[in-house]
Amino acid sequence: MLLAFPAVILLGVYIFFSFLYYPYYQVANWYFLFYLPWIAGGVAIWFLIAYKFHSSLIRLSTKSTTLNRKENMRVYNLTENLCISVGMKMPKLHVIQSDALNAYASGLNEKTYAVTLTTGIIDRLTDKELEGVIAHELSHIRNKDVRLLIISIIFVGILGFLVQLLFRSLLYGGSGRRKDSKIDGRVMLVALAIGVVVYMLTILFKFALSRKREYLADASAVEMTKDPIAMASALRKISTNHELDVKSADVKQMFIANGKSKRKNLFNKLAGLFATHPPIDKRIAVLEQM
Amino acid sequence: MIGLWVVIGIVVVLIIWYVVANNKLVALKNNRENAFADIDVQLKQRHDLIPQLIGAVKGYMDHEKEILTRVTEARSGAMNAKSINDKVSAENELGAAMGAFNIQVEAYPDLKASANFMQLQTEISDIENKLAAVRRFFNSATKELNTAIESIPSNIVAGMKKMTVQPMFDLGRETRAKMDVAPEIKF
Repeated sequence: MLLAFPAVILLGVYIFFSFLYYPYYQVANWYFLFYLPWIAGGVAIWFLIAYKFHSSLIRLSTKSTTLNRKENMRVYNLTENLCISVGMKMPKLHVIQSDALNAYASGLNEKTYAVTLTTGIIDRLTDKELEGVIAHELSHIRNKDVRLLIISIIFVGILGFLVQLLFRSLLYGGSGRRKDSKIDGRVMLVALAIGVVVYMLTILFKFALSRKREYLADASAVEMTKDPIAMASALRKISTNHELDVKSADVKQMFIANGKSKRKNLFNKLAGLFATHPPIDKRIAVLEQM
Repeated sequence: MIGLWVVIGIVVVLIIWYVVANNKLVALKNNRENAFADIDVQLKQRHDLIPQLIGAVKGYMDHEKEILTRVTEARSGAMNAKSINDKVSAENELGAAMGAFNIQVEAYPDLKASANFMQLQTEISDIENKLAAVRRFFNSATKELNTAIESIPSNIVAGMKKMTVQPMFDLGRETRAKMDVAPEIKF
């Protein structure tokens, strides 16, 4: 599924070149193959840099600190016991000083896996409810959701950059190599339209994937704790107060709850397509049915 | 000629399938034994903490000789148990003795003022939670092994290695019936 991302980028570039040199397919192919190593190399380097530094970026943007085991024996023990029950290595634990109730999981490999909780959620939830929340975050780590999410964020970023590049080259004129600039202008517009559509599709795809993984994490968490009612009760408490003051929308999608709570009219329902998390009432309903 | 190559191809595929299935069964079996050993780790920690707990309540609960003796005896019984069935029933007896002990502790509110005692109570209760967690892991490891032993392609290999379905950690019928009865609270 992840291969869809680079495949989409390459497809978009290929279509771009096909349109540019229509109907001279051989020329288009030649140009595509010529630029391929540059594009592939550029994407790979961008990807590696983002991969390496993302965890520091996330910690800086959310101002989290490492959890002190002595001060927070309760949280440490809850996490340790859950990890023992599924034979998983314990991730690092971090805290955010905030009254809001929220939590997230991060990290791409065993060395960097971490679960972050706000002081609000630690203080307000009972042991069973907090266990449900921690189990949800641990499930994200076990199902490798964080890796999936971060890779998709990086690719959407790269695609967005390429589309912007296309847009700018349209605005500031062609290279002067081609003879008939009017036709080329229209061709560029078509290519741009394709690029934008592809970009929107990847974004929608990312959101749908993200919602599905949230439901999966809820289900895996219940499998770990065998207590869906406590999890539902935790979500109820969270739904009243989870807004955290974090600048980046990308980081916010990794939280356990994101976005406004009620979805009543059609406009909000459409906006639901762009939500990273399924609506909390729906999640509570699913849990109470278990 | 082609017939010969086809036969060789089939034999190679069969060998590869056998190796893969065998390795998977071995990995699942070792996973389960690892979980079983982990249970012993938690049990040992529990055995080590109990004398400290008894020491902490000595000044307060001197008249409760009966329950203190029961706990101490259950502990030595658990530490000396040899076979697996003996171990399981000894640990269950220790668990029951600890349960009765905790109920008796409620009658001594002075104990709550002792920071040492409260600390030990927290630690023991954490050990009990860890024991439950590691037993759950043992059970899920047993489930995976049994599923592989019984499912169709790998059950052939399991039969060849004479592997049989393994028991889970559960209380057994008699103990479950005993536990379903609510504990007696005497005042």
